[in-house]
Amino acid sequence: MIASKSLIKRNRGALAWFFQRITAIYLFVFLIGHFVMMHFAGSGEVTYETVAPRLSSPLWKAGDLLFLIFALYHGINGLWQVLEDYVRNRGLRLFLFAVLLTLAVILFTVGVVTIFSVKS
Amino acid sequence: MKRKFRIFRYQPDKDKKPYYKEYEIEIEDGWTVLDALNHIHWYVDGTLAYRRACRSEICGSCAMRINGKNRLACKTQIKTLGSGTIKIEPLPGLPIIKDMVVDMDPFFRNLEKVKPYFIKYSPLPEEEQLQTPEERDLINEAAMCILCGACTTSCPSFWANPDYLGPAALLKAYRFIFDSRDEGGKERLEIINDRNGLWRCHAIFNCTEACPKNINITHYIKKLQNLAVNNQF
Repeated sequence: MIASKSLIKRNRGALAWFFQRITAIYLFVFLIGHFVMMHFAGSGEVTYETVAPRLSSPLWKAGDLLFLIFALYHGINGLWQVLEDYVRNRGLRLFLFAVLLTLAVILFTVGVVTIFSVKS
Repeated sequence: MKRKFRIFRYQPDKDKKPYYKEYEIEIEDGWTVLDALNHIHWYVDGTLAYRRACRSEICGSCAMRINGKNRLACKTQIKTLGSGTIKIEPLPGLPIIKDMVVDMDPFFRNLEKVKPYFIKYSPLPEEEQLQTPEERDLINEAAMCILCGACTTSCPSFWANPDYLGPAALLKAYRFIFDSRDEGGKERLEIINDRNGLWRCHAIFNCTEACPKNINITHYIKKLQNLAVNNQF
């Protein structure tokens, strides 16, 4: 039996597995919120006048930023798990991982620019 | 009653490619697939190779793919298989020695990695160690494993990556890690907390569906994953 808990250990997949689930919960809640906002709560119109005030509030920005980070982590980590399962060649793995990381950096930059360019 | 069997045949040193051979035999009511294989082997075609021993679901020798599903030939009643031709193939994901006989070495090598035996560091007790019913309940189901290999060879993660420990080895690790008498839990968790260990399980549930002992293997792997995550903090 294992009773005592130890300090943080070398990452061997446990944390990736754990964060995949944490981010999944946030994505799910965020999706529900999105549906409520878009189809039930608001007027349903997607115009600059309705969207801009929302996007300019700091709380909204924070939620969106968290969504951006979590969605990217969830998607990239998921793809990485698939690659780990099926790509056995080390060189190819490394290359594909680099592609994934580059993709993540580009998407993150575009996302951040989008979120913070809306002024109140 | 006559039944048709479509059986996988392959002898790597003689045949260029595997092929299927059909046998039509008279079967009796109550026959299992193993009874039919025995009949074919004894009276129709003596070259047919397959493993068997106890014919009562406890030795785990006769695991094979019957109508596309990993099962024990001795446990599978022919009348539960519908009325069509019965397709018999070896367990997938392992090298074939002949016909239904596969090389189980990769399977048992993975099992050895998780130290499938009691580990005791404190002085050995003078008499047998007792467990409470609650302590026993934790491992009761997991200890039912007969090591037939039906689970591991049904796992797509194992097919893609033979280095993956596989459900049978992880279940064995669970059986000892959660045993109140065992003291090797930490070192076993070290071994299975690996990208080719616990984290290669994506909850596909093929192992649970294949298990002839009806062990909920995926559930126990998830419990190990929870333990490993809790141990990270």
